[in-house]
Amino acid sequence: MNRARKLVASISTLSTRRRTYSPSSSTFRTISIINSQTHHSSRRESFQPSSSAKPLCLRFSGREFSSGSSDTTSSSVCWNCGSSSEKAAFLFCDSCRSIQPIDDSVDYFQIFDLEKKYELDAGSLEGKYKDWQKKLHPDLVHNKSQKERDYAADQSAKVTEAYRTLTKRLSRAMYIMKLNGKNVNEEETITDPTLLMEIMELRETISEANDSKELDQIRSQVQEKLKQWSDSFVEAFESHRFDEAVKCIQRMTYYERACEEIVKKL
Amino acid sequence: MAEPAYTVASDSENTGEEKSSSSPSLPEIAVGIDIGTSQCSIAVWNGSQVHILRNTRNQKLIKSFVTFKDEVPAGGVSNQLAHEQEMLTGAAVFNMKRLIGRVDTDPVVHASKSLPFLVQTLDIGVRPFIAALVNNAWRSTTPEEVLAIFLVELRLMAEAQLKRAVRNVVLTVPVSFSRFQLTRIERACAMAGLHVLRLMPEPTAVALLYAQQQQMTSHDNMGSGSERVAVIFNMGAGYCDVAVTATAGGVSQIKALAGSAVGGEDILQNTMRHIAPRPDKEGSGSLRVATQDAIHRLSKQDSVQIEVDFGDGDAVSKVLDRSEFEEVNKNVFEECERLVVQCLRDAKVDVDDLDDVIMVGGCSYIPKVRAIVSNVCKKEEIYKEVNPLEAAVRGAALEGAVTSGIHDPFGSLDLLTIQATALAVGVRANGNKFVPVIPRNTMVPARRDLFFTTVHDDQKEALIVVYEGEGEGVGENHLLGYFKIVGIPAAAKGVPEINVCMDIDASNALRVFAAVLMPGSKSPVVPVVEVRMPTVDDGHGWCAQALSAKFGSALDLVTLQRK
Repeated sequence: MNRARKLVASISTLSTRRRTYSPSSSTFRTISIINSQTHHSSRRESFQPSSSAKPLCLRFSGREFSSGSSDTTSSSVCWNCGSSSEKAAFLFCDSCRSIQPIDDSVDYFQIFDLEKKYELDAGSLEGKYKDWQKKLHPDLVHNKSQKERDYAADQSAKVTEAYRTLTKRLSRAMYIMKLNGKNVNEEETITDPTLLMEIMELRETISEANDSKELDQIRSQVQEKLKQWSDSFVEAFESHRFDEAVKCIQRMTYYERACEEIVKKL
Repeated sequence: MAEPAYTVASDSENTGEEKSSSSPSLPEIAVGIDIGTSQCSIAVWNGSQVHILRNTRNQKLIKSFVTFKDEVPAGGVSNQLAHEQEMLTGAAVFNMKRLIGRVDTDPVVHASKSLPFLVQTLDIGVRPFIAALVNNAWRSTTPEEVLAIFLVELRLMAEAQLKRAVRNVVLTVPVSFSRFQLTRIERACAMAGLHVLRLMPEPTAVALLYAQQQQMTSHDNMGSGSERVAVIFNMGAGYCDVAVTATAGGVSQIKALAGSAVGGEDILQNTMRHIAPRPDKEGSGSLRVATQDAIHRLSKQDSVQIEVDFGDGDAVSKVLDRSEFEEVNKNVFEECERLVVQCLRDAKVDVDDLDDVIMVGGCSYIPKVRAIVSNVCKKEEIYKEVNPLEAAVRGAALEGAVTSGIHDPFGSLDLLTIQATALAVGVRANGNKFVPVIPRNTMVPARRDLFFTTVHDDQKEALIVVYEGEGEGVGENHLLGYFKIVGIPAAAKGVPEINVCMDIDASNALRVFAAVLMPGSKSPVVPVVEVRMPTVDDGHGWCAQALSAKFGSALDLVTLQRK
């Protein structure tokens, strides 16, 4: 009886927590408030320049990325000097050093010149991320035109988002699913009783753990689980068993949260 | 980035001096200023390296104080004190960085009441009354005014030496400063005729200097720009700050920041309290001078002899040893440790992956502080390539050159700082809870949003109250501003979707947007509200209470539970 009540209480806190902090969903949902009237903040207006013609609109779904089709990118042409580039991600013109407007068909993997694969070396992202920021960061384009500064703000934000998304296993998994046309609803409630039970127990162990040694131990266990599910995700994803892949993502979500909980307590 | 928006703190306040006319064709190199609680310095990129300016007495570190003894107030740049004690007669006002932008209920303000000038508090949430003793009368002033007087002297000194107008500046600030405090710094700069290009958290300025040094070293070795992770610990008289930076190819990416208003002044006051024979002697000027000196000597010796003659027959003669000193200041040292631990955890960096530990600021000379940091970071060796008292101003000068668009043929300015938010910004919701929209240590520029909904049926209006901080309850955080959204269509509670979006741009300007949506509709039902924050003024501690007294929970919000 007592235990059951505890279970219910925990589930409700778990679900509220999940909703309050849903970093990945809020980052995907790049809200854009576009106002065509004149105002001083160019940064805002330019956040999604493609829709700037619309009078006033909010978009919550974020940019939709077409799957596969953009692989065969045709050459892009620099708005400034007219030279063309064969690069997949044409953010910056190498011949005249001007920053290009955002191209929604460029996905996060292309930005980092990576294959569209889940497994990647997170360490290699950092270097490329910094290289991009040295070309695109708003701090470094003071002497350029307003138009180009707007492009810089957009591109730099996109590269940051790409970096953030691809660095973490969980958000990377969700993103690659999205590229394949599968939107993962991480808010979906878990119905599998065994998983529910496991989560409950895990939470209990975490809340009862007292010293950092114990917590560290739990953390490495959780991370091991995370790794396992991440591996299962790769398998499921590569063999196009998307429903199973979604399940893996859900489990990764829970273990990720458990990790956060542990770190908070440490 | 947006130049005009950054000039003046508020339109109701006039900028003290006319801006100097500089040639618009040549990019003016912004100077870097490190305004310390006790000492200031100013530096500039001279075309090939950072040059720290000296005052007429050949000092690079200039005491931060302003005396009001004559008709014209004079700051530490031009003013020569006959002796240390003169700063303690009540005519000089100092420690402004501890007081600026704080209300009279703040414990940091209360801790300043033992200073020789007047710090009067009424404990009602307004700015404290600050005054200097001039000819046996209290002449009132404000922290902004004192800082502005000092900055004018710094500016004039720099203009005389650089033989050009100086207008653009990069200033270093403590990590723990609220956005309201930052507006007060900008206000002081505007009064001094200076235009703020960037306010840089102190350890991030040091991080930029480190990034430059690392880049130069890797150039020399022809190595690839491999990433180096460093902890930067900065502790001066007023504040303790920590940053974790990941550096590669001249780019310093700030992984995490942590800071608190604890510093040498607290150590000094703890120690004075310990030494003073009676509580009424705790604020004595001679005791302050003697204790300060003893603390400095304790960094090199195991024990020191302290002699104070109060001049009224009372005297102190005491031996103070290190362990006693460390016991007296236990609270300060514990806070230092907590900050380093928290920062490492937030950065998700394992101590084994740390390449360097950098310690700067006056308090970094204290053996106990060094021991704590080196112990937490598990590093015996502290990075030696920076001067602890000059690193911040050098970094600020580098940032000044970079943001002024200066290029260096040798690549010395091929630098970039990717900042992180020091404090979370969010709104009041779910009762009196603080709900972060942009969490702390988010990469800047940042834009995040969250959905909220109404708490009453047919609730037509809602208050968006914006706070900054880390506390779970709103009361523990800094109020930044508030506005009301109106015209929410009649609907059952929980149905309208109120989107609150926050945007921090590269120059750290915060904008808050709020939009009302109804399920199914793609566009907002009323015009979107955009507010640049902070909007609060002095005495803002009252506003939240007044709002709560007037509206209760009638205009409340809760986070939206998606079905």
